[in-house]
Amino acid sequence: MRRVRAVLRIVAVLLALAGGGLYLASYFRGGCLLLGALLAWGFERRLALGADFGARVRALARRAAVPAAGIAAALLIGAAIMALTGYSPLASYEALFYGGFVRNWHISVLNAVPLVFTGLAIAFGFHGGLFNIGAEGQYLVGVMAATWLGIGMGLPPLVGMALIFLVGALAGAATNLVPALLKVKTGAHEVVTTMMFAYAIRTLAPIFIRAHGGDPANTAHPYVTDAVAEGVWLPLFKDFLPEANYRLHVGILLAVACAFLVHFVLTRTDLGYRIRAVGANATAARTQGISVAWITTLSLLGSGALAACAGITQVLGLDHRMFQNLDAGYGWNGISIALLARNHPLAIPFTALLWGVLDAGGQYMARTVQTPNAIIEIVKGILLFLLLAEVIYEKFGTILRDRLKGLLDRKREVRS
Amino acid sequence: MSVLASLLTPALFEATVRLATPVSLAALAAVISERSGVTNIAMEGIMLVGAFAAAWGGWHFGNPWIGLCCGVGAGALFSLFFAWSVVSLRINQVVAGAIMNILGFGLTRYLMMVVYGRQGTSEAVPRTLQECRFAIPLLSRIPYVGSALFDQTPVVYLSLLSVIGFAWLFKRTRLGLSIEASGEHPMALETLGRSVVRVRYLAIVLGGALCGLAGAFLSIENSNSFTEGMSGGRGFIALAANIAGGWRPVGAFAAALFFGFVDALQLRIQGLGIVKVASEIFLVFPYLATLAAVAGFVRKSRPPAALGRNFSVEHPED
Repeated sequence: MRRVRAVLRIVAVLLALAGGGLYLASYFRGGCLLLGALLAWGFERRLALGADFGARVRALARRAAVPAAGIAAALLIGAAIMALTGYSPLASYEALFYGGFVRNWHISVLNAVPLVFTGLAIAFGFHGGLFNIGAEGQYLVGVMAATWLGIGMGLPPLVGMALIFLVGALAGAATNLVPALLKVKTGAHEVVTTMMFAYAIRTLAPIFIRAHGGDPANTAHPYVTDAVAEGVWLPLFKDFLPEANYRLHVGILLAVACAFLVHFVLTRTDLGYRIRAVGANATAARTQGISVAWITTLSLLGSGALAACAGITQVLGLDHRMFQNLDAGYGWNGISIALLARNHPLAIPFTALLWGVLDAGGQYMARTVQTPNAIIEIVKGILLFLLLAEVIYEKFGTILRDRLKGLLDRKREVRS
Repeated sequence: MSVLASLLTPALFEATVRLATPVSLAALAAVISERSGVTNIAMEGIMLVGAFAAAWGGWHFGNPWIGLCCGVGAGALFSLFFAWSVVSLRINQVVAGAIMNILGFGLTRYLMMVVYGRQGTSEAVPRTLQECRFAIPLLSRIPYVGSALFDQTPVVYLSLLSVIGFAWLFKRTRLGLSIEASGEHPMALETLGRSVVRVRYLAIVLGGALCGLAGAFLSIENSNSFTEGMSGGRGFIALAANIAGGWRPVGAFAAALFFGFVDALQLRIQGLGIVKVASEIFLVFPYLATLAAVAGFVRKSRPPAALGRNFSVEHPED
């Protein structure tokens, strides 16, 4: 029994790794392997849990029901808006999903990479009871740190990369030092302070770009810094998977690894326990002897470091320089990602991927069937709203239950 | 001295007032909403919707005054959705504000394609409110500030009037007292038999109308068309002005005026080419001032006690 489970577990991991890698090159074959991994993992759980398995599956289904219903309802409302304004919902959604999942899958993944990090940053803060709304600012700090260090980097590749990640993450954490101190010393709300820092950094960023090779007079490439040294570019999938897209870098693996790391820290370490205790009830945590000020500071700094990692990965993996597209909004979108994942670190890669698919598919849709891709923003907003408005479900649930009950009762009456 | 004289011209003061107007209107919206206990970061999105509606109304009906009404109405209507989500559905207020901004940005971009069939800038309105400029006799003759304050366009006057109106509302009226109670101690208000829900709805929608007015200023008074994302972060500067002004109408107006002055000064200095400083340095000023204000450096000011906490009679502890 035990041996069967061990074998199944190994098979699941191997299939998942192979499938994940292959999926980047060939969707069908990769998808089949991933499905196999899921099946193997399911069997393993079935053997391990025995009779509890059904209950677990039902609990998981119940937890996924609200997000799934929200996604479906948001897509339906989006379809209604498109139909009302004279666009074909069917053609649009076909293009959206074909573009996001099949045709431009690599763009979806590339979009998701920074979003995983910023989503983790926001979720990490939420677990400590903090709303780091200024992740955008820390993202830009990460971008600047990576560009600044990377331009003249002469160290061997791995050492250089590690150094950039270390310094960049520290810089991102340092960005949140003042908000953390203000929060602890004067009680100033972090929503205000981190947001103001984000806007200040965003406003000052063009100075940095100009100082590192950006030339405002050059209209062909407005405001681009010099490229970072080629030695510190993140490896591409193409290097070991010839079929993979030429832009796809290993940042997605780093991002997923980071999600596991955050999950581990939050659930399996003493520090994580303290953070969650302060987030759940600061007063209770204080009576337990936890230093609320220290933990609050650490949560904000950690959140800043994670958001900076998004910027670093983006520079080393994809852009190789700092662009002036300062309004890409990875930090703001991180809020949506974290909320959608209900702050669960392991759910964040999936929600980030959903956002990435919507963005990539939306662009494909706008190009092919000319439906304005602003509809994607509307659908995202409605989706978030539907997922957070729990009262609606409670009301709907009660009404539905009462109706069903009434129907059943009537049937019973008819029968008797 | 001559440098100062060339800087501090009447034109500079006029630019100050014009740059401050949308910020001051949105800051008043933040003041009334936050004083009633609702954190409002949705001004940016509401302003965009108001600006689009005003540009559409002015273009479709050919009359800027109808455009103005459309802008105000759309702002109020859109903020009604915000009020519904935070007051009735009790969604986290900051999150609901962020959703409003996403929706406002997406909605206006989508409607641009539906109505005008293009991205970027809308069709120009035939007549703007700029043409309805009028000077108030005598007052506009005051040296330096006279023409800046009393030889202006309609929305500028409206914004000055609403500052006075709001100051009066909070100082002298029952409604003002109710709004304040709803932000400081909602249960006390409820115990007196007045509805916190109704007061907060009213405060948010009134603020939304002001944001719509600010949007109309941007699209059909300061310019002649709607441009995507034309609020350009003013909603967040308004939030900053509200905090730096200590959650008071006059304070918020003074802060908005000050930010407008720094902005105007920056433009003028760049124009004259006196000092070679990156213009971005001046633009971070509102954010730094806000940080100083929340840190308690400026003066003792504190947010309303119940700010950011959703209220329900059944669960007053939430």
